[in-house]
Amino acid sequence: MSSLSQNPKKTLLFSAMKNPNTLKKKLASRFLKAMKKLKYKMSPSPPASIAEKKRRHRAVRAAAYASMASAVGPRRAWSRALLRKMKGRKRARRNPGNMNTRFGLNHLCDIVPGGEAMDSCSLLNETAHYIKCLVAQVQIMREILHSSSSSSTIL
Amino acid sequence: MSSRRSRSRHSGSSRITDDQINDLVSKLQQLLPEMHSRRSDKKSATKVLQETCNYIRSLHREVDDLSERLSELLENADTTQADLIRSLIMQ
Repeated sequence: MSSLSQNPKKTLLFSAMKNPNTLKKKLASRFLKAMKKLKYKMSPSPPASIAEKKRRHRAVRAAAYASMASAVGPRRAWSRALLRKMKGRKRARRNPGNMNTRFGLNHLCDIVPGGEAMDSCSLLNETAHYIKCLVAQVQIMREILHSSSSSSTIL
Repeated sequence: MSSRRSRSRHSGSSRITDDQINDLVSKLQQLLPEMHSRRSDKKSATKVLQETCNYIRSLHREVDDLSERLSELLENADTTQADLIRSLIMQ
């Protein structure tokens, strides 16, 4: 599987997806851990100012992307780019040839993390994986919301 | 969209053919949620890329919206413990 990501230009297939269930489990466990951490950090006083609410909102969103990036790890260019951004490191070099304008990929390379440094094939591969992870992350967040809106007793 | 049959313009680098790109684009198309009734119609690559961008943007918005609701949830005591147990069991 790893050899495919080293030769993105030569492969016509997307690299074989890991079993989606294991990915989702990894995503879920990391995200839930991050949420727990956030909860402990929260100030106990109930009335929260609007600024505090916005801060919490941003913190949860950051936790979502952070757990996505760390669950995937350095295996993917987009997750590497996200991890670099989180650690405050510099971005990777821009793609010098800039072949991305060829097929109208210029919007896509702005949306996918790290897209500006990729060639067209890699960008399309990365986009596919990024979408799958985003979808899984959204599912997890929905499931958490739904499970807590139903009865609050534990089983 | 002009379909240029040009091979690689960069001498010495790997050649990315149009067919390769089209193949990847069609695989991307399968990931997109099918909004229209016609399935497996070959859409133009430009359209697929456009819809991909829109799809990713809408996913980002969903993450944002769900984050907001989850952050409100965090304010309630003991919810996170129950979520943890329940979500782990649901997997």
